[in-house]
Amino acid sequence: MRVPNILLSRTLLIAAPIAGVALTSLLLSLMGVRTLGVIETTLLAMTPLVLAATGECLNERAGMVNVGLEGIIVISALFSVYWAEVYGSGLMGLVGGVVTGMIAGLLLGVLGTYLRANQIVVGMGINVAALGLVQYLLMAIWAFPGIHIFPRELMLDRIMIGIFGEQISVSPVTLFAFAAAVIAHLLLFNTKAGLWIRAAGDRPEALDVAGINVNRLRIVTSVISGGFAGMAGAFLPLVWFGGLVKEISAGRGFIALAAVAASGLNPLIALLATVVFGFSEAVAYSVAITPGVKEAVPFYLIQMSPYILTIAVLAALVKTRRFPRYLGKPYVRE
Amino acid sequence: MEGPILLEASKIVKAFPGVWEHLVLDNIDFDLRSGEVHALLGENGAGKTVLANILSGFYVATSGVIRVKGKLVKFRSPADALKHGIGMVHQENTLVPSLTVLENVELTVRSWNYFRGISRKTRAILEELMERYGIRVELDRKVEDLSVGERQRAEILKVLFWEPEVLILDEPTSALTQLEAEQLMGAITKMKLNGKGIIYITHRIDEVFQVADRVTVLRLGKKMGTYRVREVTKEQLLKAMLGETGPSLHTASRKLEGAGRPVLEVDDLHVLSDDERLAVRGVSFTLREGEILGIAGIAGNGQKELVEALVGLRKVLSGRIRLMGIDVTNASPRVLLSLGLRYVPEDRRNVGVVESMEVWENLILKDYLRPEFCSFGVLKVGNAMRFAERMVREFQIQVPGVSGSEVRILSGGNIQRLILARELWTKPRVLVAHHPTHGLDLKAASYTHSLLQELKRAGSAILLISEDLDEVVEVSDRVAVMCEGRFTGLLEGEQIQREAVGRLMIGG
Amino acid sequence: MVSAEVVRAAARPQRVRFGSLRRALRGLADSVLASLIGLLFGAALMWVFGYDALGAYAVLFRGAFMDPEGLMESMAVAVPLILTALTFSIGVRAGLFNIGAEGQMYLGAIGAIIVGSFMTVPVPFHLLAATASGMLFGLLWSLPVAVLKLARQVHEVFSTIMMNWVAYWLTIYLITYFLADPSRAERALPVKETARYQVIGATLTTVVIPALILALASYLILWRTTVGFEIRVTGSNIEASRYAGIRQFRVYLMSIALGGLTAGFAGASQVLGRPPSWTVYATLGNVMNIGYEGLGVALIGRNHPIGIIFAALFYGGLIHGGRFMEFYYGVASEIVRTINGIIIIALSVPELASLLKSAVRRGHGA
Repeated sequence: MRVPNILLSRTLLIAAPIAGVALTSLLLSLMGVRTLGVIETTLLAMTPLVLAATGECLNERAGMVNVGLEGIIVISALFSVYWAEVYGSGLMGLVGGVVTGMIAGLLLGVLGTYLRANQIVVGMGINVAALGLVQYLLMAIWAFPGIHIFPRELMLDRIMIGIFGEQISVSPVTLFAFAAAVIAHLLLFNTKAGLWIRAAGDRPEALDVAGINVNRLRIVTSVISGGFAGMAGAFLPLVWFGGLVKEISAGRGFIALAAVAASGLNPLIALLATVVFGFSEAVAYSVAITPGVKEAVPFYLIQMSPYILTIAVLAALVKTRRFPRYLGKPYVRE
Repeated sequence: MEGPILLEASKIVKAFPGVWEHLVLDNIDFDLRSGEVHALLGENGAGKTVLANILSGFYVATSGVIRVKGKLVKFRSPADALKHGIGMVHQENTLVPSLTVLENVELTVRSWNYFRGISRKTRAILEELMERYGIRVELDRKVEDLSVGERQRAEILKVLFWEPEVLILDEPTSALTQLEAEQLMGAITKMKLNGKGIIYITHRIDEVFQVADRVTVLRLGKKMGTYRVREVTKEQLLKAMLGETGPSLHTASRKLEGAGRPVLEVDDLHVLSDDERLAVRGVSFTLREGEILGIAGIAGNGQKELVEALVGLRKVLSGRIRLMGIDVTNASPRVLLSLGLRYVPEDRRNVGVVESMEVWENLILKDYLRPEFCSFGVLKVGNAMRFAERMVREFQIQVPGVSGSEVRILSGGNIQRLILARELWTKPRVLVAHHPTHGLDLKAASYTHSLLQELKRAGSAILLISEDLDEVVEVSDRVAVMCEGRFTGLLEGEQIQREAVGRLMIGG
Repeated sequence: MVSAEVVRAAARPQRVRFGSLRRALRGLADSVLASLIGLLFGAALMWVFGYDALGAYAVLFRGAFMDPEGLMESMAVAVPLILTALTFSIGVRAGLFNIGAEGQMYLGAIGAIIVGSFMTVPVPFHLLAATASGMLFGLLWSLPVAVLKLARQVHEVFSTIMMNWVAYWLTIYLITYFLADPSRAERALPVKETARYQVIGATLTTVVIPALILALASYLILWRTTVGFEIRVTGSNIEASRYAGIRQFRVYLMSIALGGLTAGFAGASQVLGRPPSWTVYATLGNVMNIGYEGLGVALIGRNHPIGIIFAALFYGGLIHGGRFMEFYYGVASEIVRTINGIIIIALSVPELASLLKSAVRRGHGA
């Protein structure tokens, strides 16, 4: 199937999502949906995606694949709530989530480099284990299966920002996520560390010959990827949902991976992709609760839309992107 | 003039686990003085690159010691070796394709600040080096956009950046044009005068006489001797390299032009390489029954792309290929197989066989759909095994058994026998053999050649693509030389002489 | 470090007796070791929270394997696991990472319900039709994955997981709006008697027989047919497969399609192959995760159909035994899933057993 080269064009890649989002917003406001609510929800929905995608961009540039993002998000969500309760502070909970993610990233990093493990299998193992672990810990820690609601005070505050003449509430974590994506981009393309990371994925021998330990570098990026996913996991209960359920992630880890893949491992383009995904989730949510609209469209079908959108984006874009030659392959000198 | 000993290696042994036949390096002694060029000469597979990799810290020797300026050292990494002043320019460069030349060099600069960009000092040093040694390359172009020659120059520059005292060059002229090779020789002379010691790895005797002061000959992992270049003759070196008094290959019964029907006709073929460059620029030839057409040339001049286009593994940009009169341009490998075309690939282990599968499975790799091996989609395992046993006997393949163990454990020579058995047993109409004796010892190589001759006498048409000048000259009835994607000459009968072919190979 | 003498000795050819058996045993060692690691981790997890791990495990193993009723129940749990594991393994053999069994299984259940609950078919054929329908639905759900891979090079890890989620919502939608049991709206209409497998004991039915047959068929297809040969060559070395003239797209299509059939049957087995009261609930509670757990079972079984049967029995026993663990010791039975995850992680390391052996040897200063 020949797809026109137009998809390779940078400008189209950036213009299309923006146009799509703008058009849909217009349509929604015509239908009576509160646009600002959609914007707020979009920002909430895209934050975990941006965080996970940013960390994973760096990781995949170095040649490592972390499909365990989903599991890390889930287990970090749980530990972040636990820490928040133990220390009585939402901020400590956030830290706890990040630390959990970093430990998971460390595990993946060591297994994938020194032990030459199949990274995709490890990632899936983390996903399966994490899901079971969350359910087990819900019982073991709080003696209540399936769900845990924690005190409101532990949630992290949001700040108000003025936009289009009105006020919307935004979480500082969201702002951090945006900043992180920008910083990651600068790191990757303008610094020596970025050169190392790109070399590790494209030609690890070059790095080896230069005296940089490829495996150690990859473990670092793996820890970063895990840490960011951990923050994403902490964000979900502590900033957004106010509670913990085992389905709290609902595939977000994989959607983040899709954003990474579709963007060709470019943090800023991945950011754009997560805007699209976050927006679609916000639209789905708004449609589901807006009177007059929600009867017309069945709830369950709307729930499917983010996943179908992800498939469509991947189908359109993945083939046109260039990936590091050594993605997912352990580096062996002899 | 030569100075003190810079580098000394004693009793180096290297064994690779899982390789069956012989030690890769067997008790090698080697030394290098400052201000000299010491060549490492040997056929492909003799162990030259492995020794170099050990000296430059890329591999670790199984046993043996290395001394730098008299001090005992143990390299744990190439960077270690570089710190001791030993730098290696690999045959396959170690440049990151998606980065520019400057970025590639900057990569190697160790500074504590990870977040800095590229320093101006790096650029300045590189410019100075380019002046000093006469090696020019564009610093701001991405490596993947450079030509092969430019990439090699970039690689050399990258190593020179560290001002090593010992410079190891692995087959440096393998992808260079005549002009570039001369420039390189000039640079090497300048380095010598600067007091550096240079280890020059090659399999070409002529280069040894061009540039080296001393030469050590390796053969199948063993050191045959170290000689002063001024005190040794070409024939002596050849004998040391090859073992017996020159390969006693069969005198090819050179067929005259016009004998045999044409079976393969190639017309103005243009083929793109992986990096979208025109690798084959208008190649035309006719291959007839009962002849061996040798295509000589330094690797990297389009041979790989030509071969892959002929066997259906690469799309053709323009031009026509006709097999037995039928247009098979861009046909699938299956179709070509059914028309009687067989292919012995260059990469034995990674393309020619499936290493994790068993011997019998590999022997029917191409023929499993034949009625003798399957019916209604079900494999006739018993038949296949019996066939495998027959092939093992006929082609003298040394295996533990036709089933029960992976092909991975076989030596290169035996894997080649397996591949030859598989490709030749049907007496194919056309056989494309790409570097068939690469890395094989003399016995295996001459066995291969005798099989090819037998096949030719039975009426098959054989296309032999090889970098080995001697092989091509000995075995072929006609010789075409490929240089920069074109045939620079077509020699027949008496015209086929080493010097003539060699000259055409360098484009002259 | 290999000594020169050893290498020289190895250079003399010797007959390798029972080579394939030896390789199989080495694989078995890895699986056993990984399982032990998983169980140990589970024990540690229990101890940390003050549960009696040894007692819990004792009750688990006794309940799952020592008791004829328990054993049959373990086998019943194992049946769909065999099938979803086959989906993954047939994918691995072709070089794919196909984790779409989950979604294909849901659709398979839907397919079986449509024919089994809502159609009337003469007796000997109803069961067959419902089973076939389940397999067909699974197959159809697997096709987009193949198309996306072949036409747009979308990696199957992504497409299968997305398809799984779409299937999740689609199935809930279909059950809630179209296939509900009029008397109990939270579940689908149970399948008619005429379309059910015979109960043998506990919740085990004769569906175990076609399940085992499918496993055996997978083995025969992979090792005794040309299609299977092509699949294995492609999965082992894609360059060589192109050289051999094998068309990758055919291999991928066959592998994914076969996986869809077995996963579809897995879903069908849960509505047709369990006691009459069983059906799919709108929460999908009793079919969820069987697809993802099949991954662990496939790895423990070394991606070989025969190994998978034993691995499924082992893991099925763990799941069933987990219920006893929960009942008597209060340990949440989902810990078994965590153990599965740890086993998967352990098995991601190649040559696990030899790695640990050399680590132990190094530790002893050998």
